[in-house]
Amino acid sequence: MQKFLAFIRHFRVFLLFVLLQGISFYLYFSYISFPRSQYLTTAGKIQGEILKKRDKITQHFDLVYNNKNLQKENIRLKERLPQNYIQLERSKVKINDTLFRRQYTYIPAKVINSTYHKRNNYFTLDIGNNIGVKRGMGVVSPKGIIGIIHNSSDYFSVVKSCLTEKLNVAIMLEKTGEFGFLEWDGRNPRYGIMSGVSNDYKIKKGAKIITRGGDGIFPRGISVGKVIKTEVIEGKPLWKIIFKFSEDFRNVQNVYVIQNELLKEQKQLEETVNE
Amino acid sequence: MNSRSYILRFLFFVAVQVLILNQIELGFGIQLMIYPLFLFLLPIEIKVVPLMFIAFFMGIIIDSFSNTYGLHASASVTFVFARNILLEIIQRKEKLDSLKEINVHNMGFVWQIKTFGLLLFVHYFWFFFFEMFKLNELFYVLQKTILSTAVSFIIGGLFQHLFIRPSNKSR
Repeated sequence: MQKFLAFIRHFRVFLLFVLLQGISFYLYFSYISFPRSQYLTTAGKIQGEILKKRDKITQHFDLVYNNKNLQKENIRLKERLPQNYIQLERSKVKINDTLFRRQYTYIPAKVINSTYHKRNNYFTLDIGNNIGVKRGMGVVSPKGIIGIIHNSSDYFSVVKSCLTEKLNVAIMLEKTGEFGFLEWDGRNPRYGIMSGVSNDYKIKKGAKIITRGGDGIFPRGISVGKVIKTEVIEGKPLWKIIFKFSEDFRNVQNVYVIQNELLKEQKQLEETVNE
Repeated sequence: MNSRSYILRFLFFVAVQVLILNQIELGFGIQLMIYPLFLFLLPIEIKVVPLMFIAFFMGIIIDSFSNTYGLHASASVTFVFARNILLEIIQRKEKLDSLKEINVHNMGFVWQIKTFGLLLFVHYFWFFFFEMFKLNELFYVLQKTILSTAVSFIIGGLFQHLFIRPSNKSR
């Protein structure tokens, strides 16, 4: 016992070093997959309020870019208004609400903190549980996909953006329909990687990539990016497709959180298959 | 300097790191960090055990603002641990007892590189290595480490020249 105590006294600095490292790595590797509390993330109350204050000052730098995007979206939506169309056949037009049911609703939100130069990048939004944001919901901007809600507190939430190692979002090529998964290699925030596409398909340069839908997070057809080039992965019959994101993650401010109203039903149905 | 001014300095470094440097992007994977300088400038008399707790606490606060969940804490504990070893090696050769604080004014530029530069390199390498956590990305980790160390070292030097007065004893 005496020897043991002497041992501890002798190595106490090193033991404390190992202990503190253990705590930090335990936190890091458990929080990166599932953050159990919000206190160590920017969804925390204090962190959120401070970052919100800072954003009030810095938001003006990106206003031009964001206003342009919103304007473009407005034009796109305004072109769909019925007053812009001529009715061709009056007698046959009939609005029947029972045919369509709304599946996705959009909650507007503001990005108050974002990074893009780390290996895993997160955005902080100024809305949280109080208006129904939950872990696992999709986030889009006027130009395309942003990420998935990682953690949320009462008034703030953290988004795991496309600029993380694996977001596990199913994406596909718009014209030909081959699908794969979204990844990022941690280098350039403008370019992402689509993995899992078999290399006997011919991939055209400039082909549009959209979300596949069906996972209950994003509806089908949200813009992801455009193909830049394809690379062969050694030893695997798969393409590594490098594409350019349609959104520039470095100065995005206005986003929408997607709420899937039929998600519960879909999950329940899918669970019965597994058993 | 008394302990109150160290607490103010702590808050200042955390605020600069969280509110300004976290937002600056220079490309090439460079990340700016100023808070290791605070740990470096702490007085030599402080024992390594409380020093490690200070470093851990500071790292956790910065982690909670940048969604790194413990990486900064881990790296800064390593920084303090390495600083302790380095100071012991130096003390065997020369006497540091007359110095209370090791900064650029009473050390000179070359010594600054040998101590602060080296420790910063260790700090960054630890941080980037565990952030990537892949051996085949080692070259990219080294590139990020070297570039970030160089830029942060210059910023650290500017900080010391701007905000820290040379003590009367040294000159």
